[in-house]
Amino acid sequence: MDSHRMKELERAADLLRLRAVRMVAPHGFGYLGQALSSAELMAVTFAEAFRPGIDELVVSPGHYIIVAYAAGPELGLLSEESLTSYGHDGSALEAIGTESSPVVDITGGSLGQGLSSAVGLALAAQLRHDTTRRVFALLSDGELEEGQVWEAAMFAAHRGLGNLVVLLDANDSQVDGPVSTITTLEPIAQKWESFGWAAYDVDGHDVAALSIAMADALEQTRPAIVIARTSTSHGLACLPEGADGHFIKISGDLIDAAVAELENRRA
Amino acid sequence: MLNLPPYPTVLKPYGRAFVELARQRDEILCLSGDLTRQTEIDLFQEEFPERFIHAGMAEANMISMAGALARRGFIPFVHTFGVFATRRPLDQIVNCVAYPNLPVRIVGFMPGVSSPGGPSHQAIDDVALMRALPNMTVVDVADATEIRQAVVAIADVPGPVYLRLKRGEIPIIFDRHHEFSLAHAHVVHDGDDVVIFASGMMLSSAMSAAQSLEDVGVSVGVVNVPVIKPLDRATIIETATRARAVVTAENHSIIGGLGSAVAEVLAEEGLARRLRRVGLADTFAEGAQSAAWLFKKYGLSTQDVVDAAWRVLERPGEAPRAPTVATPPGEYAPV
Repeated sequence: MDSHRMKELERAADLLRLRAVRMVAPHGFGYLGQALSSAELMAVTFAEAFRPGIDELVVSPGHYIIVAYAAGPELGLLSEESLTSYGHDGSALEAIGTESSPVVDITGGSLGQGLSSAVGLALAAQLRHDTTRRVFALLSDGELEEGQVWEAAMFAAHRGLGNLVVLLDANDSQVDGPVSTITTLEPIAQKWESFGWAAYDVDGHDVAALSIAMADALEQTRPAIVIARTSTSHGLACLPEGADGHFIKISGDLIDAAVAELENRRA
Repeated sequence: MLNLPPYPTVLKPYGRAFVELARQRDEILCLSGDLTRQTEIDLFQEEFPERFIHAGMAEANMISMAGALARRGFIPFVHTFGVFATRRPLDQIVNCVAYPNLPVRIVGFMPGVSSPGGPSHQAIDDVALMRALPNMTVVDVADATEIRQAVVAIADVPGPVYLRLKRGEIPIIFDRHHEFSLAHAHVVHDGDDVVIFASGMMLSSAMSAAQSLEDVGVSVGVVNVPVIKPLDRATIIETATRARAVVTAENHSIIGGLGSAVAEVLAEEGLARRLRRVGLADTFAEGAQSAAWLFKKYGLSTQDVVDAAWRVLERPGEAPRAPTVATPPGEYAPV
């Protein structure tokens, strides 16, 4: 990947971060860590793989809906000004995704169900012999603790759903702390491979690595998973050490510092 | 006129009606949770293998997938036993089907204590669970004639439907002129001392009980309530207003099902009618080799319906004895 393209993708990722900061700023807290960790993964997906109007997007953990909203303006699915309503009473842009959430085809706050939904969409395309449409499903690593994910993984491989790509944000973060201190998910890639999937284990903040993995995933005739190793504080050096990645508190000067940092990098 | 047991039976009335519907409707899909023959859909699998989906023993995935398929214009019918269709994937039904209000048909076999398979296999709370969900239609039919019509009737309900079905030999209680309705409960028999509201397998018990009571001069109304949600409140109010007391009969816990639904209507209407609910009295059901034994042990026999009516009317002395009906092979009579 040439350096110009890399710079473009990195700027796109930082735009997602910047919008997420602005969405949570009025509330003083929110699901910012999810946007910080998945920014490059989603920026590369939207820029290089996902075709609005053709492909389908499932955001399995509804807490990640913030990153889909942040991408809404570039996808032509949401106005930039509507983002200011995020998380406020009466807004369609609820902080945990609902049926009213724009940008995505399916989301949900009860974790572990989104892959099955994505499998259903991919199966619908397969039943109709539609070989164009692809289904992308954003999952988080914490969700892999839910047994349903593995039911869906088995089924998808059994049916040969090559039109399905999972985007796994492996940020090692869940409510009670680092996922790795709560349960052992590793070896994640080998698990998916043994279930019959093509698995790509990459640095989730390296746009070039993500881009290469994505291109290969799209060529597969079996379901594929891009495992993006990420951090919930990536891309915001101003965040205090040990901030709770699941639900970041950010207010006052910290918001100004975050906005300045991201705007400077994008300049 | 009460058409009394024993009744002739048929096998696979659901399976046949479902195949017939699928012949007319390309968008119908059939999902199986590893109970294909038991849920009568081997017939579908034979005729439409390309629209038959083995989901395996993975009910959570099956329900969530069905929701997504419904979003893309299919009408998925999901099949397993009632317990595995409702209890186990409850959160998936809530989030992937009921909340998005999708036309998924959840077909659960082996209601209540019709299975001697122990509490793990007895759907005693499925109606309560499904009735509590917004958008959900809940149907518990009594016989093969209603099953055939219900399959067609639920096909075009815009939202989700839970269809509760007896497994195995299905009695034919109603003749071909009977009309199943999603909107209206069915007054089988008029009476003004006590009215019995019954659903599913307990309808035949209610009819038999009514006859025993009529024989000793009690005037008994019998109302078949196959659609527990949305409930036909008007018919319940009308028939309960005419009677002095009310009995409900369901092959289900008395908490949250038909009995509760009728109680809510009576209370909301300020209809001061004494109510007795026949059903599982807040208990799991153990220790069976046969379903008949369970119906007796847990108070779901015809005699229990008779006794409930007798007591709720505060009649003096012994309640009449329900007849013991001989059931030749291939026929059905309630316990």
